[in-house]
Amino acid sequence: MNDKTPILSVKDLVVKFSLRGRILTAIRGASLDLHEGEALAIVGESGSGKSVFTKSFIGMLDQNGWVDSGHIEFEGHDIAGYKTEAEWMKIRGGKISMVFQDPMTALNPLRKVGMQIQEAVELHTGLTGKAAAKEAVEMLDRVGITNPALRANQFPHEFSGGMRQRVVIAIAMACKSRILICDEPTTALDVTIQAQILKLVKNLQQDFGFTVIYITHDLGVVANVADRVAVMYAGKIIETGTAEEVFYDPCHPYTWALLSSLPQLGVKGHDLYSISGTPPNLFNEIKGDAFAPRNPKALKIDFVHEPPEFRVSPTHTASTWLLDPRAPKLDPPAAIQALKAKYARRQA
Amino acid sequence: MTEKTNTGSEKVMDVDPGLFTFAEFDEVSSERTGYSDYSYWKSTFRVFLKNKVALMLLVFLATLILFTLIQPLLPGQKSPTEIYNDPATSMQLRNLPPSKAFWFGTNSIGQDLWSRIWSGTRTTMLIALMVGVIEVGIGIIYGSLWGYVRKLDRLLTEIYNVLSNIPTVIFLLLLAFMMKPGIKTMIIAMSITGWLGMARFIRNQIVIIRDREYNLASRCLGTPTRRIIMKNLLPYLVSVIMMQTALSIPATIGWEVLLTYIGVGLPVSIPSLGNLVNEGRLIMMSPELRYQLIFPVIVVSSITVSLYVLGNAFSDASDPRNHV
Amino acid sequence: MNNRETLLELRDLRVDFHVKGGTFTAVKDVNFSIYKGETFGLVGESGSGKTTIGRAIVRINQTTAGDILFKNQKINGKIAKDLDREVVRKIQMIFQDPMASLNERAKVDYIVSEGLVNAEGKLGEAERLEKVRKALLEVGLLPEFANRFPHEFSGGQRQRIGIARALIMEPEFIVADEPISALDVSIRAQVLNLLSNLQRNKGLTYLFIAHDLSVVRFIADRIAVINKGEIVELAETEELFAHPLHPYTKALLSAIPVPDPIAERGKVVTVYDPGCHDYSTDKPCWQEVSHGHFVLANQREGETYRKEIEA
Repeated sequence: MNDKTPILSVKDLVVKFSLRGRILTAIRGASLDLHEGEALAIVGESGSGKSVFTKSFIGMLDQNGWVDSGHIEFEGHDIAGYKTEAEWMKIRGGKISMVFQDPMTALNPLRKVGMQIQEAVELHTGLTGKAAAKEAVEMLDRVGITNPALRANQFPHEFSGGMRQRVVIAIAMACKSRILICDEPTTALDVTIQAQILKLVKNLQQDFGFTVIYITHDLGVVANVADRVAVMYAGKIIETGTAEEVFYDPCHPYTWALLSSLPQLGVKGHDLYSISGTPPNLFNEIKGDAFAPRNPKALKIDFVHEPPEFRVSPTHTASTWLLDPRAPKLDPPAAIQALKAKYARRQA
Repeated sequence: MTEKTNTGSEKVMDVDPGLFTFAEFDEVSSERTGYSDYSYWKSTFRVFLKNKVALMLLVFLATLILFTLIQPLLPGQKSPTEIYNDPATSMQLRNLPPSKAFWFGTNSIGQDLWSRIWSGTRTTMLIALMVGVIEVGIGIIYGSLWGYVRKLDRLLTEIYNVLSNIPTVIFLLLLAFMMKPGIKTMIIAMSITGWLGMARFIRNQIVIIRDREYNLASRCLGTPTRRIIMKNLLPYLVSVIMMQTALSIPATIGWEVLLTYIGVGLPVSIPSLGNLVNEGRLIMMSPELRYQLIFPVIVVSSITVSLYVLGNAFSDASDPRNHV
Repeated sequence: MNNRETLLELRDLRVDFHVKGGTFTAVKDVNFSIYKGETFGLVGESGSGKTTIGRAIVRINQTTAGDILFKNQKINGKIAKDLDREVVRKIQMIFQDPMASLNERAKVDYIVSEGLVNAEGKLGEAERLEKVRKALLEVGLLPEFANRFPHEFSGGQRQRIGIARALIMEPEFIVADEPISALDVSIRAQVLNLLSNLQRNKGLTYLFIAHDLSVVRFIADRIAVINKGEIVELAETEELFAHPLHPYTKALLSAIPVPDPIAERGKVVTVYDPGCHDYSTDKPCWQEVSHGHFVLANQREGETYRKEIEA
C-alpha cells in the first residue's frame, strides 16, 4: 500500500440519532482511512451502521441525525463539522458521489434519462447546452448502453433494472468525482446482471482513476471487487485489512462467524456455523465488546473493557482482545482454518 | 502469524489478568436482546401532540362541544324558541343588537340568538355525527367486500357507478320532500347519499393492502374472509377511517346549510346552524343586522376549519414514516 | 430411486395472468415430481415464474392448464371443500419478507395459532396456548414472545415466527419461497439450520425456491433451474454443479459470487444468449439425458449433451 496521506481519513466518528424521544448512537467511534485509487468494501449487516457511516461523508444523514464528535479529513478540511447545505454542495457530486441500492427510485420517472445525466454534467463541469448533452450521450456509451443517442431520449421506465443502475452510474460518472460510494449497488439485481455491473464499475475505475467505497453485506461481491475490506459491527469498524488478509487470515470472532456462516463453506448434512441472537440495541450504552453476548468464546474482559485496535500487519488491524498477548490461544473455526490452508497451498 | 503490536491497550495494562479467561456463554440471553419497543399508537399520539396548531384546535373544539352541551344547564339561559316580547309595549323584541339582556341579540321574530346558536350547534353536530357513524358503518361493510372479494368486484362496481351518478342534490331534495322535514329525515337522507364516498375510499385502501404477504399467509392458512377483513385489514385502516370521519362532519354541515337554503332542510322550529345561516343571509344587506349572520358563520367556519386541520394532523401523525 | 414415494407432481402446468393488453404466461409446460422427505430446489432469477409455481401449489394463484397432484389427488382448480381443508393442513408456505408476512397489529400468539384455529374451531384456549408455546420453542424462540407484537423482533426472529406458524399445522409439505433472501448473512445460517433440523426430525418435504444457487447447493437434494417460465434443467445437486448442460444453467453458475478473492478475480462470467438455440425446425422437449438429469433441449442439442456427459 502507498504511504501517501489517505484521500479520506475518518477518526473516531460518533453519529447519533434522535428517535421517538430517545438517543440512538448509530456510529460509536469509527475510524477508517481511504487511499487514492483503491476499492474499499465496508461489510456489515443491518444495524451495523455502514450506510449511516458513508452518508455522513456527504451530509446525507436523516433530519434527526447528527455528527456528535470525531473528524472526517478530506482535502485538508474537516468535513465532519459541515452544517450548511452550501458547504455540502461543494462536496456532493463534484468530489464525492453516491450510487444507491434501488435504481427504480433513484431516477426521476418524469424526466428523460439524457436530461438527468445532462443536469449532472452542467452542475459539475463547465459544459452547458449542446455540449453537455453530447457529454451525456458519451457517458451512456461509456456505461455500456447500446444506442446511447436513442436511449438518452427515453424515460427510466423503458429501461430494465440493470440498465437503470448503469444510468445511475453514468450520472455519478458525469460528476467527475474523486470518490464514488456504492451503497449495495447490486442487491436488487439478478446475479447475472450483478456481475456485469461490478465489472463495469471496475473498468470505469481503471479508466477514470477514482476511488470506490462499496457498501455491502454480500461477501461474494466483496471478494470480487475489493482491494481492502473493513468489517463493521454495531457502529464500529472491528477489522480492516486487504481482501486476502480478511478472507484468509481473519482475526475478529465476528469476522470468523460471518465467513463461517456462508453456505458456500458449509458441508451438506451438517449444521452451518451460525451466530445466535441478534445485534445489540443501540439505544443503550454498550459496555465492552459489542459482539461479546453472541460470542460463545468471549473472554470475561470482553464484557468489561472495549478492545483497542491491534495491528496484525502494516495493513491489517482488528479490535479484539484475542490479539492481546495475555489472551489465551484460540483457533478459528474449522471452516476458517480450511480457507487458510487453501490459501497457503496456493501460495506454495 | 506476523508479529502483533497493539495500539492502545497500554491504558488497561493494570487490568486483572483473570479477565483473560473465557466467559460463560448464555445462549438464551442473546435471544432475549430487546429489539424494539415501538408502539404504533403511542408514537402516533406523540407526533400528533407535537403539532401545536392541531393541539390548540383540538382544545378549542373540545371546549366548544363541551360548552354546547352544558350551555342549557347554565344559569340565566333563555329558551331558543321562545319569542320575547317587550313587557312595556307587548311588541316582539325584534332585531335587537347584542346587549346585556341578549348576548348575541335577537333575530327578526324576537328569539334569543345566543341560545339559538348553541341549540343549533347541538342539533347540527348531532346530525353530522350520526351521519358520520352510519356512513362509516355501511361504507366499511360495502367497501371491504368490494375491495377484498374479487368475485363481487364487478357487481359492486356497477352498483356504485349507478348510485353515484344520481345527482346528490336532487336525490336529497326528493328524499326530504317525501319524508316529513325533521332531524331523522336529514340523517337518513344524508347517510343514504354519503356512504358511497366512504365505501369507495375504503375499497381503495383495501385494494392496496389486499395482496400483501401477511394476507396471502392468512389465505394460505385457511382464514375465512370475514376474519381477514376484521383482523388483518381493518386494523390497518383505523387511522384513515377516523380521519375520513372527521372530514365528513364538515361536509355534512355544508350539506345541511345547502339544503336549508334550498328550502328542504329542518323546519324553522328546530334551530340548526343551517337555518341560522339562512336567516342571517336574508338580512345580510342591512349592516346593523349583520350580526345575525356573522355569529352562526363564525361557529360553522371554526368547526369546519378545526376538523379539517385535526383530520389532516391525525392522518400525518398516523403515518408510520413520521414516527421518528 | 424408483421406490421413493412421490408426494407432489406437476404435470404440464401452465399459469397465465391477465394484464392490460392480453395474457402474460408466467409458467408453461412445467413437469417435475417431488419425493417424500427430500428438499427440492427451484432456482431462477426474478420474473422466472418460480414464486408463481410455489403459490399455485398452495392455491393462492390459479392455474390455467395442467395438474398439480398431491399424493395422486388433483389439488388445483376447483376442488371439494374437505380436500381444500386437507391441503391447507398438509401443505404450508413460508414467505420471503419477514417484515411483510406477519400481521403487525396482531400478537404473536394469534399469528402462530391462526391456522390452527381455522382448522380446529373447537380448540380450547389453554390447549391453543400450549401448542403455541411448543411451536415457538421448536423454532428456538422463547415462549414469553407470544404476548408481543411482531415489530418488537428482528428479521431473523420474525422469519422464525413465520416458520412456527407453518409448523403448528403439522404439514407434510412446505413451500419455502425465498425464506432467507431478506435476512442478514449471519441470520441466514440460523434459519437454514433450523429448516434442515426440522426436516430431519419431522420428515418434512420442502420445495425450496431461491435465486441464490450457493444456498440451494447446500440445502437441496435435487435442483430445477427455471428461466422465463420454463424449466430448463433438472438434476441432483452435485450432478448439476459437476455437469451443467443448458447454457442458461452454465451462465447462472458462472455468475455466482464466491467469497474467495483469488477465485473471484480469476473468474470468467458467461452470459446467456437465448439466440444460441435454433428452435425453428427442431422443437425443444423435456428429455432425460442421463439418469435423473433432465434438460429442455431439441434433438440435436440433446445428442450434444449426452456426448458431453459421457466425456
